[in-house]
Amino acid sequence: MNFSIMLDEGKCRGCTNCMKRCPTQAIRLINGKAFINTAKCIHCGECIRICPYNAYTPESIEWYNQMHDSPKKFKIAIPTTSLYGQFPRGTDICKVQNAILKVGFDYVYDASWAADLVARAIKLKIEKEKTIRPYISTYCPAAVRLIKYRYPSLMDNLILIREPMEIAGILARERVRKNYNLKDDDIKVFYISPCPAKLLAVTNPIGDYTPSVDWVIPLNKIYGNLYREVIKEDNNICSYPSLKGVRWSVAGGQSEHAELKNYLAVHGMENIIQIMEEIENGKLSNIDFVEASACVNGCVGGTFNVVNPFIATSNIYYISNSLKDECINPDIDRFDEMHATGFFNYKLKEEERPGKLNLKEAVERQEKIKEILDMLPGLDCGSCGAPTCLAHAEDVYNKESEFYDCVVLRAKK
Amino acid sequence: MADSLLKRYTYDVMANDFMAAGKSSSAIKSNLKSLGIDSDILRRIAIISYEAELNIVIHSFGGKLHCDIYENKIVIISEDAGPGIEDVDLAMKEGYSTASDSVRELGFGAGMGLPNIKKYSDHLEINSSSTGTKIVATINL
Repeated sequence: MNFSIMLDEGKCRGCTNCMKRCPTQAIRLINGKAFINTAKCIHCGECIRICPYNAYTPESIEWYNQMHDSPKKFKIAIPTTSLYGQFPRGTDICKVQNAILKVGFDYVYDASWAADLVARAIKLKIEKEKTIRPYISTYCPAAVRLIKYRYPSLMDNLILIREPMEIAGILARERVRKNYNLKDDDIKVFYISPCPAKLLAVTNPIGDYTPSVDWVIPLNKIYGNLYREVIKEDNNICSYPSLKGVRWSVAGGQSEHAELKNYLAVHGMENIIQIMEEIENGKLSNIDFVEASACVNGCVGGTFNVVNPFIATSNIYYISNSLKDECINPDIDRFDEMHATGFFNYKLKEEERPGKLNLKEAVERQEKIKEILDMLPGLDCGSCGAPTCLAHAEDVYNKESEFYDCVVLRAKK
Repeated sequence: MADSLLKRYTYDVMANDFMAAGKSSSAIKSNLKSLGIDSDILRRIAIISYEAELNIVIHSFGGKLHCDIYENKIVIISEDAGPGIEDVDLAMKEGYSTASDSVRELGFGAGMGLPNIKKYSDHLEINSSSTGTKIVATINL
């Protein structure tokens, strides 16, 4: 299983909402039902969010099996920073990690602790390397894949510092191996995720490393159990997240944590597209760091969250601004030693280079598509099963659909 | 024939229309993307065509932006209806700008237009008189 967005065909009415919303045009309607081209899907979750019939189920049952069918494995949980924004104001958030243990995990390593380390690594890289501007964060896997798919020329701007989930996975494994005398094979690492995109980061990373996380659990699937534990009175073991680290769940939090003065935080797919266009045009090279999050307000806007993104943002601000910082970060003292070995850096996975471009053929193809497009009504209604008339023209050219799938032309015929 | 014109894209660019500024270069970019042009080349063309378009918007009475596709090169041509560049050598200097304060308040006119076009093209020709300026920027493939 490496795909996290499933369609319940019984619920799908073929309404075209998801197809039109998809930023990579990965969705088509086939026989009146939505179909996602997995090669194009960047797991941003826009389709899940927009569907009026709740036809998308953002999970497979498999995470549950992974958790319960491996009783002999030592199970580590890494909660997303946005989890802390999901509880009512006044909740003792120091109980959250204990609640995670109660629902069946053996060890918790908070993503915010890893964020403490990653923020420092980002700060150092931006201070040291001044040739690339702006650097673009690789925290949001959907934004990174949007860049890969639509703005490949900006791949060089990605900062290529491992993100907190990955670092947390490595450090947690290391601790558990040592403290419990276990082998890597005996351990399974689960990330409690705010969005489907994180699964893609685990199953198909952009970097040339083996991910440290084994499985991703949708936050909403585990929230009820956690909440019931968190509000119990007898729960008295306290452990705090990093108060700056939890801000990573809100747009701007990475840059603030890394103490950057000159940054831009953009969130929401359409806004990201506008900013990437600007960067591609050579603008914004006066900015050090761009944080792009596919979801509104950042990870708190992810589709697996329970609370409204603005309320969650307010909760996160409240936590990080008004709580006393009692976080004991287990690995912060080792930062210099880790940083010196290049622990935080990675390289992009080698991708197959496209063959030599035959421009003459490419121009001919474009002109033929234009000929088809000129015959279409230009309504972009989606009734043919493609998101725009241009997409339909391309599909017809590629012999993936029929010209007269266009309902307007069929009515006139 | 490597040097025969395969395709010309042409866009009208209006003077002083800052709302539409960038639309022509965006259209060029998306056309080249759909052709499958290499991303490094694409980025250079994006910068050149954007700066050329903005120059027409900011400094001229209006004009046209062309993108010519050859098998071995891509040529960005901007043609406007005047009033011409007074001192081309000076205009090529980084930071030199004749843009008005009102234009600069919009965040344009930093004096990097022509220098950037030069920096990212393999060959650049500028012809300017009071009746118009023609800029021909070539990027080899």
